[in-house]
Amino acid sequence: MPPILEARDLRKEYPGKLALKSLNLQLAPGEVFCLLGQNGAGKSTTINLFLGFIAPTAGAAYINGLEVARHPLDIKKHLAYIPENVLLYPHLTGLENLALLSSLAGFKYSENELRDYLAQAGLPPEAASRRVGTYSKGMRQKVGIASAVAKRAQVLLLDEPTSGLDPKASNEFSELLQQLSGQGTAVFMATHDIFRAKEVGTRVGIMREGELVDVRPTAALNANELEQLYLTHMQ
Amino acid sequence: MVRSIAHKEFLSTLRDRRFAVLSLLMLALLLAATLVGRRGYATLQAERALAQETVNEQFHHQPGRHPHRVAHYGTFAFRPRAALSFLDSGLDSFTGAVVYLEAHQQNSVNFSPAQQAGSLIRFGELSVAFVLQTLVPLLLIFLCFGAFTEEREAGTLRLLLSQGITLRQVAWGKIDGYGLAAALVVVPALGLASALLFSSEATAGSPDRWARLALFGLGYVVYFFVIIVGAVVVSARASQSRAALVTLLGCWMLGCLILPKATANLGAGLFPAITKAQLDAAVHEEAQHGINGHDPQDKRAAALKAALFKKYSVSDEKDLPMSVAGVTMAEGEAYSSRVYQQHFADLTRTYERQNALSTWASLLNPYQAIRPLSMGLAGSDFAHYVHFQQAAEAYRYQLVQHLNGLQASMGYGDKERRLDAATWRAIPVFTYQAPPLGWALPQLALPTLALLAWALALSWLGMRLVDRSTTG
Repeated sequence: MPPILEARDLRKEYPGKLALKSLNLQLAPGEVFCLLGQNGAGKSTTINLFLGFIAPTAGAAYINGLEVARHPLDIKKHLAYIPENVLLYPHLTGLENLALLSSLAGFKYSENELRDYLAQAGLPPEAASRRVGTYSKGMRQKVGIASAVAKRAQVLLLDEPTSGLDPKASNEFSELLQQLSGQGTAVFMATHDIFRAKEVGTRVGIMREGELVDVRPTAALNANELEQLYLTHMQ
Repeated sequence: MVRSIAHKEFLSTLRDRRFAVLSLLMLALLLAATLVGRRGYATLQAERALAQETVNEQFHHQPGRHPHRVAHYGTFAFRPRAALSFLDSGLDSFTGAVVYLEAHQQNSVNFSPAQQAGSLIRFGELSVAFVLQTLVPLLLIFLCFGAFTEEREAGTLRLLLSQGITLRQVAWGKIDGYGLAAALVVVPALGLASALLFSSEATAGSPDRWARLALFGLGYVVYFFVIIVGAVVVSARASQSRAALVTLLGCWMLGCLILPKATANLGAGLFPAITKAQLDAAVHEEAQHGINGHDPQDKRAAALKAALFKKYSVSDEKDLPMSVAGVTMAEGEAYSSRVYQQHFADLTRTYERQNALSTWASLLNPYQAIRPLSMGLAGSDFAHYVHFQQAAEAYRYQLVQHLNGLQASMGYGDKERRLDAATWRAIPVFTYQAPPLGWALPQLALPTLALLAWALALSWLGMRLVDRSTTG
């Protein structure tokens, strides 16, 4: 099966700083890849390169076979992005936020269809018509997931998605990711949360100072072993 | 996509309580300025029409008199206000409203509303134009300064861009949305202005005034477009909302307060205008070289008399078919009028040079483009004022020369005779026809082109700057 997300010798340098050192990586549809690393390790830089928000210094990133730098708009049809803190637009309701994001992605849905997507993402039905300014972070994450589903994204790029979520919301979020993975969506998630990575990931990578220093299938490790491995690399 | 962003911005803006309060305040100011302006216009117009009617009647009801006495009795010309001047009073508050028309003397237009008002008028009137030119841009700045910076700070810009749209599309969507929100504030006031114009019998059927109103509205659409695009571009390039706000407020102060005054002062310094006293003295001095009809010892009057004797082959004034005094008066009036016209043209040219400097500054400052455009379309700018002055002087000259002609036709010994009271009733009174839009437009070409250039340059260059801004 051809990779849906790929990095070939992907490198990013800033004046006086190497942010990403020749990353080579492939994700198959349905795979959940969790990228672990400290702050400043290069996780967000990697996501930005896949999103086309920054240009690589060398190498290339591909989404569904399209080179990101050459097709910055086309590749976005295939991916959805959920940042660490999905603030959305506080003066709009959940429904209006989802309608906006869907229409920008080229999809026009009826109100019932939008409600269905929000319900699938686990948002309580009565919350859909409330302004997002009243939502918790977990509820906003659910609107973000609903927008990814409504967009029929094949790749989901997540930047610290469970940071700041309470355990229940975090658990619900993991379940949603597993559902999407089961439907064939590839997930690339940058996280600090080793236990969540073990729980939802199919593979886990450890990044240190811009370099992917280790990649393991999560099935081969338990949570403690993963933690030990991470700490070893961070020393 | 642009429409979706525009819809989002429009909804978000409407639901933002800060904007709701500010825009309601602005709308109230605009509506108040429209109503107060219209009321003030109607009052002044009625007063001037009544005054004009009164002096016309007084002129027509003079008793039997010598024509030269009638020429010295004179009359008054009251400047009617332009129909749209209730939206932009322009220079009307500072230029005079009435001129005394008499023989031998070209009086200035006096009694401006500012002369009769308190000193507070120096701070500017609350007119629709003041609100549109100065206060609405402030509202737009507060509306737009966070267009990109707030999205960047909240991380929503990346969310938008990850849907597959460009920074430029986001910018146009925001411009569209903010434009709609601004329209909610401005359109009701212009709608009220249209209704007030439509309800007036005098103006309802005048296509010229409707065309002026349409262009007036269109001019402000372009002006607000320039402000909104400029604010969105500054926001796109700024690192923080605070920096964007400070930059935009700085631009507002520079454009609306500092540059207009600086260019006006520079113009007055570079092209100094003479005072009214100096003008009067210069005209008087030069007019001395012409015929003085009141001085029987005047050498030029004597030469004219001799020429008449020769022309009619007579040796005694009694044998001439006309009054020598009447002919001398006519010659003297023609000469002094030429002198006045020349000095007046010089003075007008000086004022035009001063104004031209400010108008050329419209290439640097959109406020200085909309201001003359707005005044010109409202019929309250310097050019319209000069048009009235010239019309009044033309009437004065015709009236005085007509009276001199009557005197001349009375023949020898006219000073001892009177003309019948019916003679004055046959003389047409002063009626002023304001110039049409076609007359005003060529004079407004530079500010119009400057405003359009601003719109095009910001759309082209500004959007390139937006393309190069960061996603955050």
